Amino acid sequence: MLGALLYLRLTSLQNLLLSRVRRLKQPKYLIGAIVGVGWFYLTFLRRFYTSRAAPGGLPGMTLPPIDLTATLATFGALALLLIATFAWALPNDKPGLAFTEAEAAFLFPAPISRRSLVHFKVLGAQLRILFSALIFTLISSRWSFLSGHAVTHAIGWWVVLSAINLHLTGAALTISRLVEGGVSVARRRTIVAGVVGLAAALTLWMTWRHAPAFTVQDGAGPGTFFVYGAQQVDTGLLHWLLVPGKLLVAPFLAVGARDFFSALGPALLLLGAHYVWVVRIETSFEEASIALAEKRAARVAQIRSGTYRLGADKPKARREPFRLRSPGRPELAFLWKNLLSTRPYFHWRVWAGCAVTILAAVPWIVRQPDLKPVAIFICGGAAFLSAYTLLLGPQLARQDLRSDLAHSDILKTYPLAGWQIVLGGLLTPAAILTGLLWLALLAAACALDPRIVPLPWLTPGVRLSAGLSLALLAPPLCVLQLLVPNAAALVFPAWFQATRQRGGGIDLMGQRVIFGLGQMLTMVLALLPAVLVAGVVIFITQWLIGLPAAVVLATLTVIVILAGEIWCGLWWLGDRFEKLDLSAELRP
Amino acid sequence: MIEVLALCKRYGDFPAVTDLSFSAQPGEVLGLVGPNGAGKTTTLRCLAGIIPATSGGIRIAGHDLTKDPVAAKRALAFFSDEPRLFDYLTVRQHLNFVARVYGVAAHEAIAQPLLAELEIADKADELPGALSRGMKQKLAIACGLLHGPSVMFFDEPLTGLDPLGIRRMKDSILKRARAGATIVLSSHLLHLLEEVCSHVLILKQGRKIAHGTLAEVSAQFSNGETNVSLEEIFIRATGGSEN
Repeated sequence: MLGALLYLRLTSLQNLLLSRVRRLKQPKYLIGAIVGVGWFYLTFLRRFYTSRAAPGGLPGMTLPPIDLTATLATFGALALLLIATFAWALPNDKPGLAFTEAEAAFLFPAPISRRSLVHFKVLGAQLRILFSALIFTLISSRWSFLSGHAVTHAIGWWVVLSAINLHLTGAALTISRLVEGGVSVARRRTIVAGVVGLAAALTLWMTWRHAPAFTVQDGAGPGTFFVYGAQQVDTGLLHWLLVPGKLLVAPFLAVGARDFFSALGPALLLLGAHYVWVVRIETSFEEASIALAEKRAARVAQIRSGTYRLGADKPKARREPFRLRSPGRPELAFLWKNLLSTRPYFHWRVWAGCAVTILAAVPWIVRQPDLKPVAIFICGGAAFLSAYTLLLGPQLARQDLRSDLAHSDILKTYPLAGWQIVLGGLLTPAAILTGLLWLALLAAACALDPRIVPLPWLTPGVRLSAGLSLALLAPPLCVLQLLVPNAAALVFPAWFQATRQRGGGIDLMGQRVIFGLGQMLTMVLALLPAVLVAGVVIFITQWLIGLPAAVVLATLTVIVILAGEIWCGLWWLGDRFEKLDLSAELRP
Repeated sequence: MIEVLALCKRYGDFPAVTDLSFSAQPGEVLGLVGPNGAGKTTTLRCLAGIIPATSGGIRIAGHDLTKDPVAAKRALAFFSDEPRLFDYLTVRQHLNFVARVYGVAAHEAIAQPLLAELEIADKADELPGALSRGMKQKLAIACGLLHGPSVMFFDEPLTGLDPLGIRRMKDSILKRARAGATIVLSSHLLHLLEEVCSHVLILKQGRKIAHGTLAEVSAQFSNGETNVSLEEIFIRATGGSEN
């Protein structure tokens, strides 16, 4: 029987690979594949070889290998413990094994024992695990603080990933059995939460009682902090709960061959125990698995239609973000609609609460001499959040035409010009990203105090004018950033549809790289005139009106230029939307 | 009213609709029939301004759909076979949104009786996920009717409805037609179209085979026989095959 199931797996894999190769006849996939291979080589393979040849060290991470190994083992084991905890606490009343709808339809009525089906799932997962181990090995080859060899890392990843897979499967089956035995979800969660909570409370208590205070010393980097953190975590009851995880990550972290082989034995024993546990559980998982398969199929359909939201629960009716009166500007109706479809915390009240908290907390932190590292961290964090929001935010906040393309036939019947629909679509992600940027700027402006950053030119006037200028620039910058992916969706709808598939091979990865590079290039070209003009304005006027006023004047000039670019972009995209013929673009 | 002149729609080299001309007057219910791939949905989508025509002219309520699409669309409503609703908007919020988009003032006064007529008033605060298929379709209809369109397009409106739903949909279409709306609908359910439509337009491979009142089209293909059903006319007109 396992032969038939293996045939199903291998034939499916073979056909998948063949279909991927065949679709390279289409230029969009061929170009994507070439770019994807190039990107993969430059990102992983080239670095893989160079990092093997010349290992380096990050500043502050150059600790003796044995110290860092223990730290990594503790955090790795902690991560595995958290995964295991979630596996036991989070599943609903009847967690099933992950079969596809087709597998459930064909295999469940077939004369196959439950144990064979479990074997099928466990062995079938190995293909994915092996591939994942290979990718993770390439990624971890860039971790300069890691000792060991690529082969030991690959085997180490395989052990860890296999253990996670087996534990998740075993937990799902055991919970199914507990449910059959009458143990309720609430009872199970209470027990799991009680055990984990007790362990965490004991650890916190012991740390509070016995741990020495962490002091910042000259030359100490983040590595020192991690070592301190690991030592505090690895105490009390948690120390014992971390033991299985440490055994599993030990082969991956082994420094030499001897260490590796001595670590591999216990890890394999633990893996074997998991395997025996999984295949010996006798429980009926079919009904829950069918429900799970239907849920997964619905999720896949949502991903394909562009309506999938990560971690989204079943939709719930919500209060409106603001009162939508009619008649009025129709673009605001799109803002209203799309805000309703986002997370409830994207609300002006939440934003105002965050702003008040920042205004109260950050200046207080700045005034405390002992909390100087925290203030520096806030500065760095705010700068990172700003850059992340501006550069990657448009890829994450997609409550615009990209998600509304599925409804394009409805949108096209609306009595609105194309630019109005495009603008209406852009308002929600622009508002969300602007809100985040403003919060980050507020935190940075409060933390950039002369006591924290002693720069003579950073006068209160410059701080205020620079902060206000950046705040004024945030909305047009966000809209401009959002115009690019929306333009990609409208100008290259077939490419855009392809990139919405999850995973999908190196050709789709290449397509995403092309979109990412295109976004960056377009932004550089769009910002270049504004930046040049701003530089000239500041250079000429700062001698006449002072630096703060020159900054404000330059900002206003930049806003005018960006507004012009946005207007052109909206007009052009609106025209594209009116002429868009999805039925023709998406024909296979 | 609807006026279509030499409408053509091509997908690359493939002609989906070729040289289609017809008109439909207020109060008329025009049934668009044809085998699979005849171009019914493409025609409806072109008429509703969802997809651009390759060539030809379309006038909706006197407005040129190409030159003045906003004015033309203000007069029409399109109902697809599958109700396309926003997952995170309740029934009431859907109507609120549509009212703003179409600029309907004091829409509550229109929405409430509309919801009552469609028997979904008690679901006003429910999300689409909590509605049955029939109720979703009713919500889509309520959204389409809110701005009082004078031209309506129905693409397979009876798909997935139970017998009671079919009866109500037919009554609703006839009621709007009696009120002066121009209605075009496509369906494969010929015996049901026979009960609703005053006119029929038969398409095959994107070309018009016949157009006129039921009696006129019947006379064209009945060969002197009486009481020939629309199904029989359809088979004779199209030759009984897709090609």
